[in-house]
Amino acid sequence: MQSWRRRKSLWLALSASWLLLVLLGGFSLLRLALPPRPQPGASQGWPRWLDAELLQSFSQPRELPEDTASPPQAPHGGSCNWEACFDTSKCRGDGLKVFVYPAVGPISETHRRILASIEGSRFHTFSPAGACLLLLLSLDAQTGECSSMPLQWNRGRNHLVLRLYPAACPRTFQLGQAMVAEASPTVDSFRPGFDVALPFLPEAHPLRGGAPGQLRQHSPQPGVALLALEEERGGWRTADTGSSACPWDGRCEQDPGPGQTQHQETLPNATFCLISGHRPEAASRFLQALQAGCIPVLLSPRWELPFSEVIDWTKAAIVADERLPLQVLAALQEMSPARVLALRQQTQFLWDAYFSSVEKVIHTTLEVIQDRIFGTSAHPSLLWNSPPGALLALSTFSTSPQDFPFYHLQQGSRPEGRFSALIWVAPPGQPPLKLIQAVAGSQHCAQILVLWSNERPLPSRWPETAVPLTVIDGHRKVSDRFYPYSTIRTDAILSLDARSSLSTSEVDFAFLVWQSFPERMVGFLTLSHFWDEAHGGWGYTAERTNEFSMVLTTAAFYHRYYHTLFTHSLPKALRTLADEAPTCVDVLMNFIVAAVTKLPPIKVPYGKQRQEAAPLAPGGPGPRSKPQAPAPDCINQLAAAFGHMPLLSSCLRLDPVLFKDPVSVQRKKYRSLEKP
Amino acid sequence: MCASVKYNIRGPALIPRMKTKHRIYYITLFSIVLLGLIATGMFQFWPHSIESSNDWNVEKRSVRDVPVVRLPADSPIPERGDLSCRMHTCFDVYRCGFNPKNKIKVYIYALKKYVDDFGVSVSNTISREYNELLMAISDSDYYTDDINRACLFVPSIDVLNQNTLRIKETAQALAQLSRWDRGSNHLLFNMLPGGPPDYNTALDVPRDRALLAGGGFSTWTYRQGYDVSIPVYSPLSAEVDLPEKGPGRSFALEATFCVVLRGARLGQAVLSDVLQAGCVPVVIADSYILPFSEVLDWKRASVVVPEEKMSDVYSILQSIPQRQIEEMQRQARWFWEAYFQSIKAIALATLQIINDRIYPYAAISYEEWNDPPVVKWGSVSNPLFLPLIPPQSQGFTAIVLTYDRVESLFRVITEVSKVPSLSKLLVVWNNQNKNPPEDSLWPKIRVPLKVVRTAENKLSNRFFPYDEIETEAVLAIDDDIIMLTSDELQFGYEVWREFPDRLVGYPGRLHLWDHEMNKWKYESEWTNEVSMVLTGAAFYHKYFNYLYTYKMPGDIKNWVDAHMNCEDIAMNFLVANVTGKAVIKVTPRKKFKCPECTAIDGLSLDQTHMVERSECINKFASVFGTMPLKVVEHRADPVLYKDDFPEKLKSFPNIGSL
Repeated sequence: MQSWRRRKSLWLALSASWLLLVLLGGFSLLRLALPPRPQPGASQGWPRWLDAELLQSFSQPRELPEDTASPPQAPHGGSCNWEACFDTSKCRGDGLKVFVYPAVGPISETHRRILASIEGSRFHTFSPAGACLLLLLSLDAQTGECSSMPLQWNRGRNHLVLRLYPAACPRTFQLGQAMVAEASPTVDSFRPGFDVALPFLPEAHPLRGGAPGQLRQHSPQPGVALLALEEERGGWRTADTGSSACPWDGRCEQDPGPGQTQHQETLPNATFCLISGHRPEAASRFLQALQAGCIPVLLSPRWELPFSEVIDWTKAAIVADERLPLQVLAALQEMSPARVLALRQQTQFLWDAYFSSVEKVIHTTLEVIQDRIFGTSAHPSLLWNSPPGALLALSTFSTSPQDFPFYHLQQGSRPEGRFSALIWVAPPGQPPLKLIQAVAGSQHCAQILVLWSNERPLPSRWPETAVPLTVIDGHRKVSDRFYPYSTIRTDAILSLDARSSLSTSEVDFAFLVWQSFPERMVGFLTLSHFWDEAHGGWGYTAERTNEFSMVLTTAAFYHRYYHTLFTHSLPKALRTLADEAPTCVDVLMNFIVAAVTKLPPIKVPYGKQRQEAAPLAPGGPGPRSKPQAPAPDCINQLAAAFGHMPLLSSCLRLDPVLFKDPVSVQRKKYRSLEKP
Repeated sequence: MCASVKYNIRGPALIPRMKTKHRIYYITLFSIVLLGLIATGMFQFWPHSIESSNDWNVEKRSVRDVPVVRLPADSPIPERGDLSCRMHTCFDVYRCGFNPKNKIKVYIYALKKYVDDFGVSVSNTISREYNELLMAISDSDYYTDDINRACLFVPSIDVLNQNTLRIKETAQALAQLSRWDRGSNHLLFNMLPGGPPDYNTALDVPRDRALLAGGGFSTWTYRQGYDVSIPVYSPLSAEVDLPEKGPGRSFALEATFCVVLRGARLGQAVLSDVLQAGCVPVVIADSYILPFSEVLDWKRASVVVPEEKMSDVYSILQSIPQRQIEEMQRQARWFWEAYFQSIKAIALATLQIINDRIYPYAAISYEEWNDPPVVKWGSVSNPLFLPLIPPQSQGFTAIVLTYDRVESLFRVITEVSKVPSLSKLLVVWNNQNKNPPEDSLWPKIRVPLKVVRTAENKLSNRFFPYDEIETEAVLAIDDDIIMLTSDELQFGYEVWREFPDRLVGYPGRLHLWDHEMNKWKYESEWTNEVSMVLTGAAFYHKYFNYLYTYKMPGDIKNWVDAHMNCEDIAMNFLVANVTGKAVIKVTPRKKFKCPECTAIDGLSLDQTHMVERSECINKFASVFGTMPLKVVEHRADPVLYKDDFPEKLKSFPNIGSL
């Protein structure tokens, strides 16, 4: 009886265990046996075929066709692309040479000035036979300035028809193989890589210089409207969309909140500017927004964005689909401050680099075409899309961004750790032995170049120096000083006058500072410019003031790129001006660097200054090169040629960290800078 | 089991009564049950290894078993490709709806075999590459199996090679897809277009509005901004894993440049092989649209020579400087790695391009597409890159962090309020246990004074981007810095205007590498160099407040709050890392002699404090993964500082005095 009961409990335990096993195991087995039904919502994916390995490749080597010679043809004969319609063989040698058809009959002032501007540029040639590009200006139809078919037309081959203003001439003759540069061409008629899309310029667009961007601060002012909307009749309306979805289809107006709309005639003051994409005229709003630093938001533009071939518009504008207004609005509201900051700054850079004047627009057009001809030696995208822009960063200098002073941060590179000293010896022409020794004493000095620029014969003996010394026999012109000599291999140049006097310690410290600011000029002696109310013009002085805007190039560090810029990008007239008025060359060099960097130069301490800086005796130039009576005309001529005043003032000087601090001299690295 | 144990204990009498046979039987039974239970348990807790091999939840089928669809001879044929198609005309963007992740959803039609009325198949069902391509899409984030939520449709009809299909029937097969709708939002992949004798440069299959991702487009057939130009995949690359050892390819290895000539078709698989070998392709194929040219900058990785200039190739190549060649080789290799090397890479790049068109505000930038990783790592993109000197009139906002030193705070407020360019004063009251003084007790100053009360006593409160900050320039100042003169502060602001992307501060500090300890060391002695400025008195752009609060790497922000130290060092790291630039120290070093000014120099002299600060530098350097601080040997002084010049004519005479 008892054993039976025992056996019963044993059986009970056993069967309970079995039940558990069946329950647990059964489920698993069930799962193994039957593949699960696709559950709703669970992703099923592309099947893994059992015989996937056996599938044939899409192309079998044997079936590849033999080469055939005929290149793909244009579908409708009339269309053109770069390879088919442009003859680059005419552009051998020194790049793009442009011939402009002279105007026939009476022309407007604008037309005349545009012609003059092109003729003054480095691209221009007077010979149509030697030109690689023939430019036909097609200006305003209303003034009747439409040209007939020119003589060398040749079916339009290697021609560029420049239609600067929207109301340009009707096409009175077949354009044939000519390229067209026109304002906001429609996407359908635009031939990418062949035509050039121009901005839609207002009639009163300045020819040269141009108004600077409106942005006065990097980040948007707190409380500024999020959106500005273009109005039909011109002007802008700002809408504070807040958090509610308030699209631009007029609903905001019907439902006005407090302080919601505000009409503005000229430039919008908002973070984003909404521009409809349909009408090409909207492109003029696009330019306004750029200038105002208001990020353009283009809704499905039917026109090609200006210079889209080279400008990366995704960095400065937002091209969105007009069919998704709420999504676009939400995206704008949620956009990170970092992106807004970057977009805003880019609008200003682009405006200033390529759009602010008619001259810049024309030069950009020619630069785009030159880049097509140059092929591998064209501007890399970085040079087009970051300051100072492709018009100021010449690809003839280099195609490697590290060679320029502007892109070290983006490239993760650093300027070279050595410099070349370039000593200009003007009359009376004494070999600057002391100066050579002082400069050669610097551990950073790579070489010394003496530019012998006077009538006296070259001395046959030069001092022994630790670094190579080269003597160049110059042409006795001041502009020689800024010629890009191929012997200069270092990034930095220390430009000197034979009469300058510097100590090794001064040179060392200044070079160290320059390495932190390789795009600026770092100098010892300064000039400052001012607006002269009495004469209604600019003036400048060498007197010591609390501010300065120029450094003398008779003792200054700067990047060798500025020699290339001085020699190859300046209009010849300006270089001639410098040759005729030697004191002007300092101003000119400072103008160039300031126009490129938009920053003032840097001043470093200069030991001997106190002794001589006292009263600047008129007409009594000391032993060192002081600007003789400053030529005020020079600065005004330059300001006119540049179209604006690029100089900026600085109120600081960079000194060694312990400069004149009450601490033991033994601790100081640059103690000799403090000697009286 | 418990029962059996009990039984065993109690039952010495029982066991002898049981036959050995029975005992073995029971033991075996128990063991089986036990083993079964263990096995089941393991199975339960180890399910992933079994399910993750996709074979378990995907049907195992053969390509030969797919359903057959008969296409009647008179079934509709789509229009030929519409050359005027653009995204805003031919693409139905409403299907993409709003997706918070800014990602399009892609649906793939199920695989079918199409036959004509006579049962003759229209094409090979699917090629190995197309199968791979669809698998890659299916495995990606873009994939959806919900046809109603899809924005882009990919037919499983394989049109990679036009030669393997019957054109009219394939077109009919396309037209009967369930969501065809004139082909809008449909994406076709084709690598070998055209056929003899004239070899069209785009797929000849009529496809109406469908997008075409094609290899070998010419300028005549490519619809800019609509089609996508893709590489012609080289089946060879899959077979030869190590190009370095591939015997048939030594031609590319030694060469710097490799010519890619137009064949019957414009797109050449050899381009892919050339890139793989790190050889710079010299493309001689007029009007060819290079792969992914919408986003890839081919100027950096190739040389394009017009056919009529073929004879000049040698001189063209010789004119390229060595440095540029090296960059091009690096770029070519990167393009291959990122966008050419597999069918998957090609498929995903294509979808990314289309995705970027639909969500342009979330698009990938030029640099992300084009810069090889080595450049991306080394480069700095300064958030304040525009050279811009802010107008003086804007002024600055002074932010004083305070806890309870009211008397000293009031003195700082009075001193700072004398600075001409001050536009607002913000007091961050970091003491939760005590209320700030009554309004009437505060010093009367000429600019608005705002008190912000914080929820917690945290150091990072000093760097919060308060809405009250209306100027771009911020002066962070401790509540005990009363030794700075008005001239010094005003001058500091002027210096900041010239360097708005830097920290411009008064007391400077230095980091040094301790060769003995093999780690970084903090230095506050009188040195010739400086790499940090203390934010007890420093000007900086308010954007850095945003960065400090929301974009500080790693756990640095919490670490600083927990240790109540080093917020200034963290700020120095942050700014140097994001701008790649050094700080600017302004004006001479001051001996802070007043007894209560302990914050800057007094505290720093404390030995443990120095150790802690050194620890901070080491900690931050490891979080940033680099040492971003830059050492310089200069400081900024007024132009005429200590010059022999009448003091009263100087703009900032009162500088450096005690």
